[in-house]
Amino acid sequence: MLPSRSRTSVLVFLLPPLLLYLVAVVAPVGQSLFLSFFRWDGITDMQFVGLDNYTRMLTGDDVFWRAFGNALGYLAISLFFQLGVALLLANLLTYVRRGKEVVKTLYLLPAIVSTVAIGFLFQRVYSFEPTGFVNQVLQAVGLDGLARPWLSDVNTVLAAVSVPEGWRFTGLYMLILYAAILAVPAELEEAAKLDGASAWKVFRHVRFPYIRPVWITTTIMAATYSLRGFDIPYLLTNGGPGQASELLTTYMYKTAFTSTDFGYASTISVFIVVECVAAVALIVGLLRRRGGVLL
Amino acid sequence: MRSIRFAAATAAAIATALTLAACGGASSSSNTDPGDVEGEIEPREISWLLSRPADGAVIATVEQIAADYAEQHPGFSLNLVTTPDRPSYLQKLETLAAARELPELFDSDATPFAAKLRDQDLMVDVEALLEELDLRDDYRPLALDYQRFDDGGLYLLPFEFEIEVFWYNRALFEQAGVEVPATLDDMVGLCGPLRDAGVVPIAVDGQDQWPLERYLAYYPFRLAGPDYVTELKRGEAALSDPPGRAAAEWIEALGAAGCFPDGFSSQGYTDARDLFTTGRAAVYNMGTWELSALTSPDLPADVRDNIGYFTLPTADGAVTEDNEYVVVSGIGMAINAQTFDPLVKDFVTYLLQEYPARYAATGRFSPTIGQETPVPEGASPLFTEVAAEIENLGDRVAMPWDTQLDPTSNTRLQQELTLLAQGDITADQFIETVDATIADNAPRYFGD
Repeated sequence: MLPSRSRTSVLVFLLPPLLLYLVAVVAPVGQSLFLSFFRWDGITDMQFVGLDNYTRMLTGDDVFWRAFGNALGYLAISLFFQLGVALLLANLLTYVRRGKEVVKTLYLLPAIVSTVAIGFLFQRVYSFEPTGFVNQVLQAVGLDGLARPWLSDVNTVLAAVSVPEGWRFTGLYMLILYAAILAVPAELEEAAKLDGASAWKVFRHVRFPYIRPVWITTTIMAATYSLRGFDIPYLLTNGGPGQASELLTTYMYKTAFTSTDFGYASTISVFIVVECVAAVALIVGLLRRRGGVLL
Repeated sequence: MRSIRFAAATAAAIATALTLAACGGASSSSNTDPGDVEGEIEPREISWLLSRPADGAVIATVEQIAADYAEQHPGFSLNLVTTPDRPSYLQKLETLAAARELPELFDSDATPFAAKLRDQDLMVDVEALLEELDLRDDYRPLALDYQRFDDGGLYLLPFEFEIEVFWYNRALFEQAGVEVPATLDDMVGLCGPLRDAGVVPIAVDGQDQWPLERYLAYYPFRLAGPDYVTELKRGEAALSDPPGRAAAEWIEALGAAGCFPDGFSSQGYTDARDLFTTGRAAVYNMGTWELSALTSPDLPADVRDNIGYFTLPTADGAVTEDNEYVVVSGIGMAINAQTFDPLVKDFVTYLLQEYPARYAATGRFSPTIGQETPVPEGASPLFTEVAAEIENLGDRVAMPWDTQLDPTSNTRLQQELTLLAQGDITADQFIETVDATIADNAPRYFGD
């Protein structure tokens, strides 16, 4: 039990951020939930429709399910880069002796470039007519047959819009994981090495268990950011061709601002919130079972 | 404790509902009839929310006129806020409309959304205004018709007048040994020889989707006239009817013949134009707003001197004339009825009187009759040819489908159309999906 003066000071320090959180996060989510029971175009009167929007979303909307499947694909590819590649790079970085800062800066650079610039960049990178970077490389190594308009081919477009999202934050997560690895006591690793452990075993049994809390935080960050990913697919393809790169977020945006169906768009946004909460619960749940350490 | 929380939550929900319901109600202080607005002019700043190119002729002309008006009326200023990217613009417009914060003047097409604004008494009846100012007969009927709602109501003012034609490169046609197509089906036949000659047959901006949607409108306009799309959007006609089927099959054939560039769906407006103006594409379907650029002395001479045009080809069994095709008067300007006062009325009056002559002087075509456009210095002879075409139009126009269909059906149609042109789906699949989407959504927009 804190003495009353400390309790007051805790309250004084916690109240403003709590209020900010309530106004900026909880209230909009609450309003979305409220709107999801209505049909509203922004101009005429709102019409209460009960659970109609939810029924429509879950049972009668093929685009919604397509977008949901795409969002999972987008998540998988983003996580491959932001967790897998970032972890690999962070580990490799510990072996680099010279020029570490240059490598770190180079990898971090895409995270500070504006999304619109990244959109333009990748539009050119994937271009087929005139031949862009990817297709030029393929031609240079004799794989002309694989050259294609990556953003127009329904089979490649989802991967093509996911890669920039993964690529852009790889450096950021690499840096976070690298900082965690630096905190691993050197004597532990040395002891393991003296006992004859290979580099992989040192990583598997010493390094990784040590950085697990940070790893979980980065997993939650990367997963929720990717589930909310919007700007790059919107800029590169606007969800097309067809619905091949439509994500829940782009679909929600179109439903709200093209179809002016704010009620149904709110229903989709409620689903996105639920989806993010479920993802966090799943990640934390898996951690509890495996490591027993929470964050 | 629990019941208190529940009561508090319910109270909060009801409070939110009331606030939102209040936002949704119609305003009581609207002046939709311009005849009612009289009185003293009190100069202040007014705003016009536009979706037009920032360096374009309309904005330049309006800025000049506003500056002159401000000289006569100290204290007046016109704040032009432009968002040329249409989806971003519409987002702004919808948000402001929902908050009842629309500026004095704002741009819109005669879309189902704009019709709702009109029904909420948020737009001034500009036909009544033009009549009061004795200006209505100065306008080209086609320019006004483009801005009208389905019931004939005129709530949007035109500031442009453009025809949409097929620009083509004569040298590339000659190189491939092809002629200007007489019918829509002939267009499919162009593509093989042009491809063989190493040329992209038709440049198209796939990213913005409306340019490809124009192609879908052509066959139905030729076979069934302008009424087909007004019936289609209400679900009274179907895409599976002969005109719609012909359109879908034509797009499928154009795609299969390799008419569009590989990867066109991710090519933007300028990508498509560049393909044509650099001599790599043979045909480019676009409005006369590109005429200055296409006849400009800045263009490489070997391209510029070879640019010709043809109007929409006909079809077997056509019910519309050769000189009837897509004619647009640009996005229209609405006057907010909630803020319509003597100042706004006086400024709009001055604007409408001054605009035609000053706009034509920039080398563009005025929506009014008898306002001659001088040929820009150094322009190729093509300019005069096209200008003559504008004076030779029929009575009916092919309306762009993207302003006609309800927005949800339109989005789905555009997405499926890209897949159809790319050969990812068949004409039958396209028809089935679009008809189902329209049947699902049309009643919500047009079910009155």
